[in-house]
Formats: sequence, C-alpha cells, structure tokens
Amino acid sequence: MPAMPLDGVRVLDFTWVVAGPVATRILADHGAEVVKVERKEPPQLGNRKLGLQCDLNRGKLSVALNMQHPRGVELARRLAAKSDVVIDNFSARVMRSWGMDYESLAAVKPDIICISMSGLGHTGPRSSYVSYGPTLQALTGYTMLMAEPDGTPAGYGYSYADTCGGYTGALAALIAIWNRHRTGRGQFVDLAQFEAVASVIGPALLDISVNGRTQPAPGYNSQEGPAAPHGVYKCRPLDGDDDRWVAIAVSTGPEWRRFVTAIGSPSWASDPKFRTLYLRMRNSGDLDANVSRWAAEHSAEDAMAILQRAGIAAGVVENGIDLCARDPQLKERGFWPAVSTAKGTTTNVTGIPFKLSGGSGRVRSIAPEVGENFDYVLGELLGLGRAERDELVAAGAVWP
Amino acid sequence: MTEPSPGALAGLRVLDLTGHRAQFCARLLADMGADVIKVEPPAGDDARRIGPFLDDLPHLDRSLFFWFYNLNKRSLTLDLNHSRGADILLQLARSADVIVESYAPGTLDRLGLGWDTLHRENPALVLCSIAPFGQTGPWRDFIADDTVLTALGGMLYINGFPNHAPVRPLGLQAYHSSAYYGAIAVMLALLARDRTAEGQWIDLSMQEATAAAVEHVAGAFFERGEAEPRRGTLHWSRFFRVGKCRDGYIMHCTLGDWTSLIEWVKSDGKAADLDAPDYQQVMYRYLMAEHLFDVLDDWVKDYPRDELLERAQLLRQPYATVRPPEALFDDDQLAERGYFVEVEHPELGRKFRYPGAPYLFNGTPWRVSRRPPLIGEHTGEILRDELSMAPQALAALFAEGVI
Repeated sequence: MPAMPLDGVRVLDFTWVVAGPVATRILADHGAEVVKVERKEPPQLGNRKLGLQCDLNRGKLSVALNMQHPRGVELARRLAAKSDVVIDNFSARVMRSWGMDYESLAAVKPDIICISMSGLGHTGPRSSYVSYGPTLQALTGYTMLMAEPDGTPAGYGYSYADTCGGYTGALAALIAIWNRHRTGRGQFVDLAQFEAVASVIGPALLDISVNGRTQPAPGYNSQEGPAAPHGVYKCRPLDGDDDRWVAIAVSTGPEWRRFVTAIGSPSWASDPKFRTLYLRMRNSGDLDANVSRWAAEHSAEDAMAILQRAGIAAGVVENGIDLCARDPQLKERGFWPAVSTAKGTTTNVTGIPFKLSGGSGRVRSIAPEVGENFDYVLGELLGLGRAERDELVAAGAVWP
Repeated sequence: MTEPSPGALAGLRVLDLTGHRAQFCARLLADMGADVIKVEPPAGDDARRIGPFLDDLPHLDRSLFFWFYNLNKRSLTLDLNHSRGADILLQLARSADVIVESYAPGTLDRLGLGWDTLHRENPALVLCSIAPFGQTGPWRDFIADDTVLTALGGMLYINGFPNHAPVRPLGLQAYHSSAYYGAIAVMLALLARDRTAEGQWIDLSMQEATAAAVEHVAGAFFERGEAEPRRGTLHWSRFFRVGKCRDGYIMHCTLGDWTSLIEWVKSDGKAADLDAPDYQQVMYRYLMAEHLFDVLDDWVKDYPRDELLERAQLLRQPYATVRPPEALFDDDQLAERGYFVEVEHPELGRKFRYPGAPYLFNGTPWRVSRRPPLIGEHTGEILRDELSMAPQALAALFAEGVI
C-alpha cells in the first residue's frame, strides 16, 4: 500500500451526528488513525454497515468509554495524550466538564491540536444553544431564501450546514497540523458551524452591508452573472417517471446562438424580444415557456447530450438512482467505491472527490460497530493487559 | 487595521489561476496566511464582471462578488496566451508551493504549462486542477455552471416540494463544496510533501464534490435502492420541519427532550394525542412525523417567533427561527464574537463590513491582511521583487499587452 498524507497521525474523535463525522472521515480516508470515543448505546442513527452511517464512519476505529465514570474519563485523557488531534462537536461545556478541554489536554500533551465544532461557538450569549445542521440553516438565511416563487420556504433536502461545518473542520485540522510541523506548537480551534455556513453566503452578505439591499429568494436567477434561459425544464417521462428535468444555463450571445441552433432554430427564437441577453432576461417568462416546450419533447438525458454537444451548460437533474447507478461519468471515475463487509459481500460508499497523483486517499474499511476496537485501543494503544481490561469493564468504565 | 499575525500558513506561496468557479479555494488559504497571487488576464478576472456591484455601478474594481472571493490576495495581470506571459508564469512557478487552476482540462498543456512541465521545473510544486467533471471520463470536456452542477451532483433534485419543480440551492453550493475539497486536497498534498519533498497533481471533480456534499442520497440508494424524494421542508431525517408562527417561520425539531416539549405544548392546551407514551420513542416520532408536525404547527401558529425560540432554547429544545440573512447583522451572538470585520478600502475612502472567520484559531488566527486587490494592483511589485525585472522590461511587457 502506498503511503498516505496522514499516515502516523492519530485523531481522537468525540463527534457524532453528521458534521463532525464528515470532518474525521476525510482525515481517515487519507491515512489518519481515527479513534471514535462513543457511548455504548449512542442514539439510534441507523445501520453502521450500510448507507449513510457507513459513509460517515468508514475507516474509523471505535471504543465505547463511559464518560460518566471517572476511570472512563481517565482512559480518554490517556488516549488524548497519545493523539495529535482531538475533535468534538459538543457545546462548549461538555469537554470542559470532563477535563478534556484544550488547556487541560495541553498540560499533558503540549502540542495537542483541539478542534471543537460546536453549533454557535464557545463564547457569546448563545453559546449554550442546542442546534443541528437544519436549524443553523434556518438561522443563517438558507431556509428562508430557498423558497417557492410565492415565498413559501421549500427547503431543504439536506444539511449543507453539516457538510460545510465538516469541511471547515477537516481543513482546520490540516492547517493546524501543517503549522505544527513548522512551529512545534499545537492550538485550539473554536469552530462555530453557524459562522462557517454563514461565511459562504458572502456576496449576499456584502450586498446587505455595502449596498443595504434586502436579499430576495434568487429562484432560478443565476447567482453568477446574468443568464437566460437559466433554470430547470421538465422533460419526457422515463419508464413512467414524469419527475424528469434538465438544468440549462445560457449566458452570452455566442452561447445563445449555439443554443438556438442546437434546438433546431425554432421560429420563436428569432423574435426580437429575445435578441439580447437583457431582453431574454426581461422576457424570461415567455422564453422559459418556449424552452419548456422543447424540453418536453426530449428525455432529460437526450436534452443534456444535445446541448452539451453544442457547448451549452446543461445537465440532468439527477435523482439518487441516476447519481449512483446511471451516471456514466461518476461510474467511469469510480466515484462509488466498493468496500467489503464482514459477511464477505461488498457495499458501496461515497468516494473522495479528488485524486492525488502521488497516491489518492482510499476507503479502508466499512464503519466499526460501537466498541468494535476495544482490544486494539485498550490493549495496543494504552498497553493494558487482559486482567486490567476485564477489571475496567467490571467497574463500568468501558464497554467491551 | 492592526498589524496582522503571520498566520498558520505563513511562508506558503500560492498562484491562483482560477476563474469565478473555483476562486474560493485559494481564498481559504489566503485567510490563514498564505501569500496568494491571483493571476488574472489583462482584461480582468471574469468574477470582476459578476454583480452585485458597489452602489450598483458595474466596474472591474467594484464587484462585491469578486471582493468576497478575493480578500487577502494580491493581483497580477498576465496574458498566459502570450508566450512571454506563459514564460513569466513558469518562472513564478519555480518559487511557488501551490498552483490552483480551473481551466478546461487540457488548457494548461496547450499553454505549455502542463503538469509535466511544471513538475520538471519545480518538483515540489502542488498543482490543484478543479474542473466541472475532473480531468478524465466521458464528460471531461462538458461545461457547467453552479446550477448545472447541483443538478448533476444530485443536490437539486431533492430540494422543494413533491410535484413541484426542484428549488435551487442558495449561494453557489457546488462551487463552495469544490473549493473546500480543493483546499483540503492542497493541504493533504503539502503534508505528504513534508515527507517526500515531492509535489503532486490533484484532479478534483466539482460534480463529485457536489455529490459528496449531499449526505444521505447515496446512502438511501445503497441501503434501500431508493431515490430520495423531495419532501418540502420536512428534513430527510424526519426530525425537522418548518412551521409558521404568528409573525414568521420557525424550524421545529423533535430531537430535544420530548417530555419537556410536550409538557409545554400541553400547558397551552395544544398537545392533541402527542402525550401518548409511544411518542417517547424516537422511532415512533420518526414514523409519525407528518402528523406530529401538523399538531405542532397548530400549536405555534399564535406564538411570536422570537418568543417561541427563547422559550424553546431555555428548555434546551433545538428550535430555530427561520430568518433572512439580514438578521445576521443584528445577531448578538455574532456581534459578541466579532464575526463581521471592517475592511478598509482606502482608494474609495470607505470601510465595509465583511463576513469573518469560519473558525477561531487561538495560536495563528484567521485574519484580514489586505482588502481585495484592484486589477493588476501588484503586477509591478511582484515582477520586480520576485523576478528582478528591470523597469524597461516591465514597460515593454505592458506595451505588448502581456501585463
């Protein structure tokens, strides 16, 4: 096996739900040894060996420590002393209550890097607020501005705040490790997922602070310069499924001319009201009605192929089956790698969206059951003999 | 502005060749102290033509879109289609650590700046190529904007109500997801370089980055063979849904302490059947989500939004108000943490509030070291200081339109 960038890095992982596990999965996929510290019966989040929970926890190890027991906490502190990075996504008080906050851990491991991915941050009047990805999206404007044309909130279907928070957390860990290679110093990172997800509506926030403008729900108006047609258009049903759409983005004059040729130069397209980009945007209702009539005659796949051949940005609005089973590009690039299960079968997981010429990351194993790596973590990492381990189990400090 | 700290990435030199689709990647590195040189065509980066604009006056130096993504960078104008321009870039690449680019696949090769050339000139250089579909595969030469990427990444389909058109995500999420992964990949390659002294070429697909940012769609397919549907505001986990208060919307959440929530609802006489013991089980709440949220909607409809939030959070219920982004500027939590930062634009004699740090490093803080660059603002100083170019040489390049 070729070396990976984070070989030799150990991460003690107290995170749960989505954002934290996304961060540590990225580290695990690139060689870090990620040890999840969990409760014996964590809240039911689903099957660990398949689907989302496997995606989030693959390639990690798990040990079940009782953090309500002083000896469980002591084991966690000893693990931290053997780790490079400690990550949690609790609110501020939790790690402190265990004596696992940065100051306490730096006393035993001076170059430790601690990353706390709380919802609203460690300081401020609302640091104790309880939050999840969907509630942070509500607080930051995403939920309100992903709306139906009449303004009714309509979103949304996934937890961007969690994935953004997760990426920010992974990036923070890598930057801190790089800096530690040069300075020998660790540090504490107070990552508020609220602030991480707020920071990526930047241009809208500047428009508010600089121009004083209230932000409308953008709908299908392009958020990257004027474009028309720009939106989703309903296509011919596929095998009885009539929820088929193609997304189309046409901006410049040359693009418009290529678009018109590609769809067969219909007479409506030469109407003077569509002559310039400005006019196409002003008359976008009529324009969209015409484009919709064209799209309705084609399958989403054909519409995409016709337009892409003409150099127009267009794509099938892929559902889960398109994405995971039909998309020829993702298939060709091996984006859904198979990993073996304990039963000798395989399951597929989400891949890594980038390849490194010197050795890409890889999904090393499916997710562990809670406490699956008891022997390795307590025996090999902490050097505890069988009798000691049994005694800790009997004392209720750790679950086998 | 006070003197900025050197930052965690001090000493790192990044050449940013990206257009508007990938420029957030190098911004993430610049914020942490890397010296990022944005290499723009002499006519200006395409992002400079994207609004909104300061006071709604379109101008290359007034694009707020450009400002946000290019804070903390320097600007060098250089025509890479001109052989002298490509030659200058190659010289700069010799002392750079990272190049980030988002040209159509094959473009760098055509400019004589492909990976083989760059790697030969500087074996330690990391090249990060961010393309809509990556550098390989049948769709490698296809094009896409953010909307098309959200479509092909499976993000668009799941937003909105069933039987209505899918609803567009807010805020260029395909680009941002790609930029995060780009910055992560660059840091991984740099860490590997610490051991091997070798740079690497990163092939990043924006479609894949988008697909990876949707956490549950692939899981539903590989676990149950199903395509996740659109569910309106009901989150796929079935524990969150938007409800309507007297004066606006709130986000319900049924993952907090159920007993205290139901006692509250009951004391308002609105619990209907929710006090049945079955609802104590998370799984039952999961199964009954639609009915449960209908009852809670009837409960909240006469509450003022903010009062509901305060009382819910006192009971540690993970409720939230559905706010417009303008509310962030009045948010006491962000204010207390100093989230918004003032950035001075001396050429305009004005200061503007920018969104601030996504994370607070206690040792090497995120910081603003310079406002976004004017077009070509640092061309002269970079060519003079880095390449020791004489004034006459600079003047000749300028006259030829190379810089």
